Amino acid sequence: MRIFLLRRARLFAAIIITIGILLVISAFTRATALAGKTTVPSLPVSSLGESLIKASPVQPAILASSKLPPAPKEDLCLHCHVTGDNTGLWTPLARWVLFGSMGVIFAFGVYRSASVWKKRSPWIPIPKRLGSWVEERYQVSEPLAKFLGKPVPRYALHWWYCLGGITAFLFVVQALTGIMLAFYYKPTPEAAYASIQYIETQVFFGAAIRAIHHWAANGMIVVCIAHMLRVFIMGAYKRPRELNWVSGILLLVLTLGFGLTGYLLPWDQRAFWATTVASEIAGSIPAIGELVLVFLRVGWEVTSLTLSRFYALHIMVMPILTLGFMGAHFVMVRRQGIAKPL
Amino acid sequence: MPDTSDQHKDSIPFYPDHIRTEFWVTLGVLAIIILIGVAGMLAPVGIGDPADPLNTPAHVKPEWYFLALYQLLKFVPKTAGVVAPILALLLITIWPFIDRKTEKSPRPRLLRLVVVVVGLVVLIALTIWGEVS
Repeated sequence: MRIFLLRRARLFAAIIITIGILLVISAFTRATALAGKTTVPSLPVSSLGESLIKASPVQPAILASSKLPPAPKEDLCLHCHVTGDNTGLWTPLARWVLFGSMGVIFAFGVYRSASVWKKRSPWIPIPKRLGSWVEERYQVSEPLAKFLGKPVPRYALHWWYCLGGITAFLFVVQALTGIMLAFYYKPTPEAAYASIQYIETQVFFGAAIRAIHHWAANGMIVVCIAHMLRVFIMGAYKRPRELNWVSGILLLVLTLGFGLTGYLLPWDQRAFWATTVASEIAGSIPAIGELVLVFLRVGWEVTSLTLSRFYALHIMVMPILTLGFMGAHFVMVRRQGIAKPL
Repeated sequence: MPDTSDQHKDSIPFYPDHIRTEFWVTLGVLAIIILIGVAGMLAPVGIGDPADPLNTPAHVKPEWYFLALYQLLKFVPKTAGVVAPILALLLITIWPFIDRKTEKSPRPRLLRLVVVVVGLVVLIALTIWGEVS
């Protein structure tokens, strides 16, 4: 059937085109014949249409009384106005042939579509396709399976093993809220205080973000120390995890450094004098104390330069260092596994 | 180094078992964070008077995590009070290279627990003292 129809596609097309041409000629001759007559045969139009065309004086009355005109009874064939009446023989015949052929072609199209649909290749879910797209290019599935399938000891599900992960998550929280605060914060003595006030009072959720940054910073120090004490008590720092312990201590120092540098940024009395005291403590280290003091304060006093330095340390130097040590910390934990609780 | 091998007697896969636990813990922490945010909207962190280098306030104190050190410095000579914590930190850093014995009994663990508890009590006491003084 399919082959039969395809072979004769040109024949069908020729027939349809011929019929179409016949139809057009028929309509044209009819139109010229009608034009030959002096009186145009009144087309059966509804009384409303008639009244509108003629613009009879009755119309305003009809509209004024807001009565609907009688429903059209005669005019049931709308396309007759284009192609003529149904009175002849050839015109309806040609019409039937034309639309009938189109119907046959449509049915054939449906049949073809259905057979194509039935013979389609099996559907692959889109995530699977994406996966194979990536896999074809980067061959990630094997290392990923190795990464995800790594056995973890069951005792690692105890809550005290989660402290390190919580610290890491709090670092992420600090990074995100810190970026949000940095959008509005201005690190100069003149503007810092006002910008904190602006964050607290004007910025949408500014007070919430600042509160999270403030309290999560304190919480991070607490959780960090708790994690360290857990590792210490359980003896998890022992061979072969010495360097993991050292990197953890450095991370704790960095966390405290974050606290120290971040505390100055609001530039209020408390911040200013706390920084003065803290840098004074650092200044009393023998031999290198003055050097440390001058490095921290950029001079002998806490000034706008101190603020700039603390800001740069707080948002650039220490995050980079922390990310580096965190990466090392995680890689080592991953490599060596979680220590046995004896 | 037998305890770094993957072959634990009783182990779970990293994914999904371990990840699932970590996910719930993270979600819990996130809930607390959001609560802190809501609390922060109701009671903002706030800000004191603008910094004035010429006007020293009556009670100058560092952040709470330096309070213990600050309080310690009131009683011991300044140099010793600064050097001792630094030395302690160095000692803690290189501690794994000093304590190298493989443990066979839970005794050293208890000892460390006692050390930690005593140290924490002293630290917290100094911090509170520094806060109220």
